[in-house]
Amino acid sequence: MYKTVIGLEVHCELKTLSKNFSGSKNTYSTKPNENVTPVDLGLPGILPAPNKEAARSALKTAIALNCNTPDEVIFDRKNYFYPDLPKGYQITQVTKPMGKNGYLLVDVNGMPKKVEIHQLHLEEDTASLEHFNTYSLIDYNRSGIPLMEIVTEPCMNSADEAVSFLEALRNVFLYCGVSEADSKKGQMRCDVNISLMKDSDTELGTKVEMKNINAFSSVRASIEYEIKRQAKILDDGGKVIQETRRYDEEDGNTYTMREKVDAIDYKYFIEPNIPPVKLTFDFIEEIKKEIPVLQYERHLKYVNTYGLSEYDATILVREKNIADYFEEVISYEVDSKSAASWVTTVVLASLNKLNLTLKEFFITPKMLAGVIKLVDNNKLSLRQGQKILYQAIQDRKDPMAIIEESKIEQIEDKDTLIKIVNEALDESPDVVKQYKEGAYYAANFFVGSVMKKTKGQANPKLTLEIIKEEMEKR
Amino acid sequence: MVTKEKLKSYASKLMFDMDDAEYEILLSEFDVILRQIELINKIDNISDVKPMTFPFLDYERELREDKIEESLEIDEVLLNAKFKVNDQVKVPKVVE
Amino acid sequence: MDYRYSDIDTLRSLLSNNETTPESLFKEAKSLAHKYQSSINPFVTIVDEYQKESSNSYIDGIPYALKDNFSTKGMLTTASSNIMKDYVPVYDSTVYKKLKEAGAVLVGKTVLDELAMGGTGTTGHTGIVKNPWDLSRMIGGSSAGSAASVALGIVPFAIGSDTGDSIRKPAAFGGVVGFKPTYGRISRYGLFAFASSLDHVGCFSRIVKDAAIITDILKGRDKYDMTSLSDDDKVYSELLNNDICGKKLFYFKDICNPEYYKDSNDEILLKTLEEFHNTIEKCREIGFIVDEVPFKKDLLTAIYPTYMIISCAEATSNNANLTGIQFGPRAEGDNINDIMFNARTRGFSELIKRRFILGSFILQKENQEKFFLNASRVRRMIVDDMNKLFEEYDGLIMPASGGIAPHFDEASDRLSDRYLILENHLDIGNFGGYPSITIPSGFVDNMPIAINITGRQKEDDWVLNMAYKIEAKLGFKGQIAGGEDNV
Repeated sequence: MYKTVIGLEVHCELKTLSKNFSGSKNTYSTKPNENVTPVDLGLPGILPAPNKEAARSALKTAIALNCNTPDEVIFDRKNYFYPDLPKGYQITQVTKPMGKNGYLLVDVNGMPKKVEIHQLHLEEDTASLEHFNTYSLIDYNRSGIPLMEIVTEPCMNSADEAVSFLEALRNVFLYCGVSEADSKKGQMRCDVNISLMKDSDTELGTKVEMKNINAFSSVRASIEYEIKRQAKILDDGGKVIQETRRYDEEDGNTYTMREKVDAIDYKYFIEPNIPPVKLTFDFIEEIKKEIPVLQYERHLKYVNTYGLSEYDATILVREKNIADYFEEVISYEVDSKSAASWVTTVVLASLNKLNLTLKEFFITPKMLAGVIKLVDNNKLSLRQGQKILYQAIQDRKDPMAIIEESKIEQIEDKDTLIKIVNEALDESPDVVKQYKEGAYYAANFFVGSVMKKTKGQANPKLTLEIIKEEMEKR
Repeated sequence: MVTKEKLKSYASKLMFDMDDAEYEILLSEFDVILRQIELINKIDNISDVKPMTFPFLDYERELREDKIEESLEIDEVLLNAKFKVNDQVKVPKVVE
Repeated sequence: MDYRYSDIDTLRSLLSNNETTPESLFKEAKSLAHKYQSSINPFVTIVDEYQKESSNSYIDGIPYALKDNFSTKGMLTTASSNIMKDYVPVYDSTVYKKLKEAGAVLVGKTVLDELAMGGTGTTGHTGIVKNPWDLSRMIGGSSAGSAASVALGIVPFAIGSDTGDSIRKPAAFGGVVGFKPTYGRISRYGLFAFASSLDHVGCFSRIVKDAAIITDILKGRDKYDMTSLSDDDKVYSELLNNDICGKKLFYFKDICNPEYYKDSNDEILLKTLEEFHNTIEKCREIGFIVDEVPFKKDLLTAIYPTYMIISCAEATSNNANLTGIQFGPRAEGDNINDIMFNARTRGFSELIKRRFILGSFILQKENQEKFFLNASRVRRMIVDDMNKLFEEYDGLIMPASGGIAPHFDEASDRLSDRYLILENHLDIGNFGGYPSITIPSGFVDNMPIAINITGRQKEDDWVLNMAYKIEAKLGFKGQIAGGEDNV
């Protein structure tokens, strides 16, 4: 048996208005070369103008990942030739990355795992190449889009851990609002470094790098494949070659791309066109305030403090806006378990059915809290509550207004109910008789008739009690 | 040791080549420059000094506000490209 | 009418009094440009059609020349290199934009040493630029054509760039004024980068006041250049007359002393230094205090290698965009690497390639510390020592060169140790981003010589002010090459 050691390098495009070093629009685009300025083309004479928002987003993520932040923003050049790199160098960060030595707590199948972050740095994306039979086409739309790279320590030991980390990391991006992190649009891309070692070994085995894997499912499949492949080589007494491999989504195998000859010398040096900008205490504090409580921490709180089930807690924290919605509902002094159950059922089902986002959803947390309270205080039955809510969603109307207009309110006045119950008993003496003879289920028959008489507004629990009491009197 | 082979490999990493005679000239230039550089390395306490990238830094600097600017027209983007297809720059197939 | 001697003030008043028009000034300049093109070769492009934007700036209607490494939208910009021989920019450099908006009229784009990497004016892809004072001599570079066009009186001012001495040295050899203001005073956006941390924009003119007028137009913060300085809210051309009495200048001891070179038999060098000391005396006469000051010899000797290392390293990276893919001549080849490889092999001259290889060597991981970082350390040591001297002194005054413009066949030996410091001290101005100006200070063997004044960072006004006073005293103001019997 071998121990698997995995390190990840994750690239994430930041969601700013403009690109990292130019004012070109930063957007996912399908029309080639429409968001391009001279800077993105690397034309002679251009200079970089670093985007404050990109720096802020990278710092925000770095802080959320518990990293140390630098005292100033500074960039470096990474020099290499490639047709998707118009300047012949990429502006990145080596000297002072935005984050160093952080970690992220990850839930791996219910077990906590601390994934160590080596560093987080800000750089620019390359142009994109589209390949055809005999030629390739260059589209510069992507050139210069702010890109954040997160490098973990080689500290994960299974595909499960790697994928759980990626999911948690994606969640951090979404929670912090720094990226849409849509891997289908290439906004989140991953390089996997993987090696195998014997338990008795003290040094890491030879590592293989797999580049540009987008889908998390592919990350899992490629790791699982590589573990088998490398284990077989080792079992047969062979040596794993240090190389870069490509994962083929079609057949789920990995293939040699290039063997590592000598490492490319990127001839890094400080970007002389970007003088350092000091990061003030106030600036960093301001960013810290914007960082929300993250998924892992919320999940803990929901289970331990609010007493929610694992299941409900997991569903609620999956998306930050759902968790935020839930937290706002309970801020109106609603029982947290009830709130969880309403949000995970009615709210999510409606969103799903109507294909809406929470932003577009008509029912505010306050409205929902109002309905939940009425149900919890037995002013409405659960069914009534749900019905009203669905109607409110459909009519885009305040549920309280619906309740008022249709006078839907439970009849809880005991005297009123006694009167109605007796009417019902009088109307069906046969059933009364059966009840008296021991057919207690007959009580339900009278609950039904009382409901009919009250158009469903009688409090069912109270009605049943009164039926029993009145029966005793007969 | 700087050798002609080394110089050739530096050139090829920079994506060009030179005439053989030029490498000879360059080798002799390296002799001079390396000698001069040795003078630098002999300067007292040089290792205590922080390398300088910017002529001076005592002025206000800030990062750019995140605002969108107008893009070039597509024909401007492609004006200087010799080969283009579908509004993109065409190159021979790039194989990784 | 002959406008060749006219400064901007004169042209302004002629224009304001309707004694001439911008168009006739342009036509005159254009015809002079064509006249000298075959003998001197200052231009890559001479503008054919008169074009002007309306403006009411002081330089509205004044013709000028622009070095061919400033991006001009819709107009060929080559950096005098084959690798950009067909490149037509799609955007304007900030400098060109400002001049256009000020109503200045572009007459031509001037020849430079290929990619501005050189000091001879002989390496441009359209041929060598000759010195109008003596056609067997070089004008120097890299802003060769800009220096020549002003020296010839084709235009009253021209724009150049200066990474080591690329404005100030050819200005000296051409007998004109060359000013490089503080780093960041003028935006570099659209200037084809040579060595970004050393590159400056500046200008040539025939009198100091015109350099001040042009700098007034060009200076200011540019959102496209993060290293640009916010405006100091001074009008340099109105601050030239401040009293300089008691201002303190210094020059480097030993290397300005003729005794130091007494074994050399270099008559020109000795005469140049003698003239320099005459100039110093004249400075004292008008109220300057001038001292000779020792400066660490090992640092002075290190100026040239330090400059070479930093500039070649940055240049290697700055010119990595020249691959013929997105712009420039596309080379043939079966695969993408061959295309880039062939374009660069064919596009660069051998001299440029040698510099790039040096730059690449310097930046290699195993060499960075010893070469690149140590050079960057020396840079700081020199600048720190200069700043200390500037605590006491208002300026450094030096001969701009240890001689006159070299003949075309005698360039390289000036890199020998004897000349190393005297020929390269102007680089200090780039190391520390100091404002630095060269003004004509006389003649040796009928060729112009010059002095250079370098001042404190951001005190461009004082440097111009001091130069203005010295210029008035020396009496070589407004000269053009060959005088009345011009070619």
